[in-house]
Amino acid sequence: MDTTTADASLFWDRAAQGELVFQHCDDCAFVRWPAAGVCPECLGRGFTWKPVAPTGTVWSQVVYHRAYDTSLRERIPYNVALVELTCGVRLLTRLTGFGTADPVGAAVTARFEDTGDGPVPVFAPATGTFAPAAGTAEGNVS
Amino acid sequence: MTSQPRGAIRGRSAIVAAGNTEQGTVPGISADEIAVEALRRTLAEHGIAKSEVDGLITCKSYGGFGIDTEIGRLAGLNPDYSATLDYGTCNFSLHLACAVIDAGLATTVAIVYGTNQRSAGNRFGHPLGRQDEASVYGFLNVAGPAGMAFRRHQHLYGTTEEDLGRIAVSQRRYARDNPLAVFREPLTLDDYLAQPYLVEPLRRSDLCMISDGGACLIVTRADRADDFTDKPVHVMGIAQQSGLRDRQNADQWMRPWIERVAERIYPAAGIDREDVDALYIQDPTSVWVLQMLEMYGFVPPGGVGEAFRDGAVGFGGKLPLNTNGGQLSEAYMWGFLHLCEAVRQLRGEAGGRQLDGPRTAQYCSTFGFMKAASTILSVDRS
Ligand SMILES: [Zn+2]
Repeated sequence: MDTTTADASLFWDRAAQGELVFQHCDDCAFVRWPAAGVCPECLGRGFTWKPVAPTGTVWSQVVYHRAYDTSLRERIPYNVALVELTCGVRLLTRLTGFGTADPVGAAVTARFEDTGDGPVPVFAPATGTFAPAAGTAEGNVS
Repeated sequence: MTSQPRGAIRGRSAIVAAGNTEQGTVPGISADEIAVEALRRTLAEHGIAKSEVDGLITCKSYGGFGIDTEIGRLAGLNPDYSATLDYGTCNFSLHLACAVIDAGLATTVAIVYGTNQRSAGNRFGHPLGRQDEASVYGFLNVAGPAGMAFRRHQHLYGTTEEDLGRIAVSQRRYARDNPLAVFREPLTLDDYLAQPYLVEPLRRSDLCMISDGGACLIVTRADRADDFTDKPVHVMGIAQQSGLRDRQNADQWMRPWIERVAERIYPAAGIDREDVDALYIQDPTSVWVLQMLEMYGFVPPGGVGEAFRDGAVGFGGKLPLNTNGGQLSEAYMWGFLHLCEAVRQLRGEAGGRQLDGPRTAQYCSTFGFMKAASTILSVDRS
């Protein structure tokens, strides 16, 4: 794969510093992800990485009870979610702070957690929109 | 000249033979050799000479096997036309065969597929490192996307796990009468619900197996069909749609572009949905069966569980679905065996699971790639 212009490493580097950035098309302003060298709206090649609001809603979520790679064995069970960001991008991520509550449709805010390879974005209930179920250890997160 | 709807084949191509190798675990033979074995058996069982085959369409299987230049070499063929599709599923191969025949590039096309990915230990999806969000978060295996789609469906329509489970249960019941099927032991809804989650909300029986095997269909120009068989199965209509850009941002798991295929396929074939006597839906997971039942309009959104319960769809129901057991119970094979089964049912050659004289069958497919397709077959040429 040619990664000279489609390099996503800036996304992960900035996430490690607590910021969500995506490519914004210089010609039509379309925000794209995954990283790509061409705008899928207008086919323009110019782009600028810019921060976006770290907010969105949970589109869906699954829980892995099986490790499909040995490197994931110690993490199961773990969740994977798709969050629809306010900027329009859908981001594959992980949820935290929901306890046993159903997260689908909930408003969320990004936070940045180190899972062993530097901080990555995960999403927690947005402030003031979530009351944790009684007895759960995880509380509200701003 | 009156223009016909897009994809209106209307009996200009016919399937004259369908065959397969054993399925499941087929060790000691390469994927390409399995494909050629499927071709050999299909020709032999139907009394068709290899010299009749002047077109060859193959599809690249996992691991890079399945290229026409290699299969043609092994099979000793110098076809007038040959090609390899870079993605599987029988629908796309069949559609290309119809187009090739319509264009006059070849007359009698063999479409073949072989895989040994079970014996070879091939597994889909390994982490790729930090460039890839799916890897960072462990979003591996087809169960991830399918589970995500079903969880969303539950959120939108209140669909239950029992509703989903009825798909696998119905297909297993058919597979019990199919000697070719890998999974033939009984499966009740209680058995299904007792299975642990693999990727919650999905269980083992929601996901297809990885298996070895080969299959082949012989497609020919209508005026040649009678030279090969007195039971040709006519291709009435074909339709496709890609959702290629939907890999980015948009809805890659709810697969809304399938609805475009659903809109096109009945006008293409010149029939109504109600005319379908047997339905085949490619099922790498039960979730895409649920989606396609809805998108093709066989059940209302959120109504799959009720449709199986009330006998509208499924084993013993008004509309038979995946009478071979599908990929969930019969074998994987990128949907090739669904089409083989549809041909056998229409020819009255489905043994203990033979339906009562079906005249029209529909096959719908999609997979991990962003494409969908459908075909309508009939025993009647028009
Ligand atoms: Zn643009």
